[in-house]
Amino acid sequence: MLRRLLSSAVSIFLLVTLVFFMAHLTPGGPAFSILGQKATPESVAALNARLGLGAPLLKQYGIWWWHLLHGQLGYSYLLNRPVGALLWDYEVNTLVFYAIAICLSTMLAVLLGAAQGVWHGRWPAGVIGVFQLVFYATPPFFTAAILVLCFAVGLHWLPASGIGNPRLAHPGIGTFAAHLVLPVITVMLLTVPMLSRYFGEAVHEELGKDYVRTAQAKGVGFAGILFRHVMRNALRPLVTMLGLSFPYIFTGGVIVESVFNYPGLGWLLWRSALGRDYPVLIAIVLLIGLLTVLGNLLADLVNGWLDPRGQYE
Amino acid sequence: MSEARAGMLLGAAVVLAGLFGPWVYHADPYAIHPAYALQAPSRHFPLGTDELGRDGLALLLAGGKATLVVSLPAAVLAFVTGLAYGLLAGLGPGWLDKVLMRLLDVVLALPSLVVLIFFASIVPLNNASLVLLLGFISWPGLARLVRNETRAQRGRDFMLAARQAGAGPFYIARVHVLRVVAPVLVVNATFLVGDTIFALSALSFLGLGLQPPQVSWGSLLQSALDIIALAPWWLIVPPGLMIFAALLAASLTGRGLLRR
Repeated sequence: MLRRLLSSAVSIFLLVTLVFFMAHLTPGGPAFSILGQKATPESVAALNARLGLGAPLLKQYGIWWWHLLHGQLGYSYLLNRPVGALLWDYEVNTLVFYAIAICLSTMLAVLLGAAQGVWHGRWPAGVIGVFQLVFYATPPFFTAAILVLCFAVGLHWLPASGIGNPRLAHPGIGTFAAHLVLPVITVMLLTVPMLSRYFGEAVHEELGKDYVRTAQAKGVGFAGILFRHVMRNALRPLVTMLGLSFPYIFTGGVIVESVFNYPGLGWLLWRSALGRDYPVLIAIVLLIGLLTVLGNLLADLVNGWLDPRGQYE
Repeated sequence: MSEARAGMLLGAAVVLAGLFGPWVYHADPYAIHPAYALQAPSRHFPLGTDELGRDGLALLLAGGKATLVVSLPAAVLAFVTGLAYGLLAGLGPGWLDKVLMRLLDVVLALPSLVVLIFFASIVPLNNASLVLLLGFISWPGLARLVRNETRAQRGRDFMLAARQAGAGPFYIARVHVLRVVAPVLVVNATFLVGDTIFALSALSFLGLGLQPPQVSWGSLLQSALDIIALAPWWLIVPPGLMIFAALLAASLTGRGLLRR
């Protein structure tokens, strides 16, 4: 366990260093990003001196860590706010969106995967297989466009973008939920094919193992075997997969948030890239990397809880 | 028909349409006919027209060409980079392997689209820069795979024998590693092509890929989405289906070959 934590810490250290070098690649250096188009050679030099940017690289690296540890992430000149506070607002929207999308995706993936594993080689598994193949190859922006075309523009059932009616000060939970339906479905159609296929194969594999035969011999019913033993064992690789697929889910998230104008981190990343708002870009890249490392760690911890054997290794 | 063959046929159709389509269908994709703006498919315009009155089919073919001209070389570049990195880690001394793999873990912690978006906001966007960008960002998955496969070969007797016979690292990489991992490499090269087509389309869709007036499948979808309130399905479905067909071809071929 201590080893695992230590390894995550090393990853985080390397990640912060990598992003430091990425920040140095931004054109004109950080001073240009802060001053924007009003930058003159004199003002750049003055700001560099004030921020310590004229210092040797190693010292700047130290300052970078110092600022990070104090939560100073710079200033967004596009949205005119400190990056830290800005990220927090968007982060909340993203967390709500992802929590709902990942919960529903996992449930649907477990359901489909279990069906596929149990009916392996028969037509229901084949139908699920075709669904997986088709939606695995469908890019999320196409799925989103078709959904908007059908359910927002054609049928007027659901709103096409945003998170609430801008004319209302407090849109209320119902409006918010209605705005979430299409984005959540898009993410589900992106993640469920991969996750359910993985889970289906695990269920099929577990069903062929000796303990299943033992349980059958002992007189346990099929439902008992499936829910008490097989699903629980097949869930472990799924949890690992979920932890590992965080970057993949976030990739979909960036696209989905931009299509639906959902003000989350992915949307902010996109707008900052188009507006060349480097302090915000750097902060988001760093945050996503950290979340991925933590996601993997969390997956390992949950697995340790699902299967106590690992703890004694 | 096997999965792999179906995938290859579909892939060939997409590539042929993208690279040679403009030779067969002559309409100028950039010619503007304001009088015919936003028309549904008809005899004159088989795939309708966009909001400027440009020919939908001509735009689709031009977009395909632009997409393939960037993403195929990018896939080759990513393949070579990933292979070299993986071989270096797999055949090199233990400490080098540790360092390289640690770095790879960190690189893999950043979603490739996020890194692509970051660099796309820094560099000037044109065909050459996009090939380099996509090529240098899509390789980590392949590198890890090559390294693992190489390590698995390392302990085997024929490797030991080769080394004792005085074979150099390049000879071993060429004769003993590449021949054994070739099937895995072919499968993953296929997936890599799908990855770069997706990445370029996603970037272009976000306005950070190929820049106007050049069109690509991704940017065609984006501009159709801007006027989605008018429900121009003939501008949304064709480019979406082309990307879908390209990705399906890559994943069918890869899966089919994997099963052999």
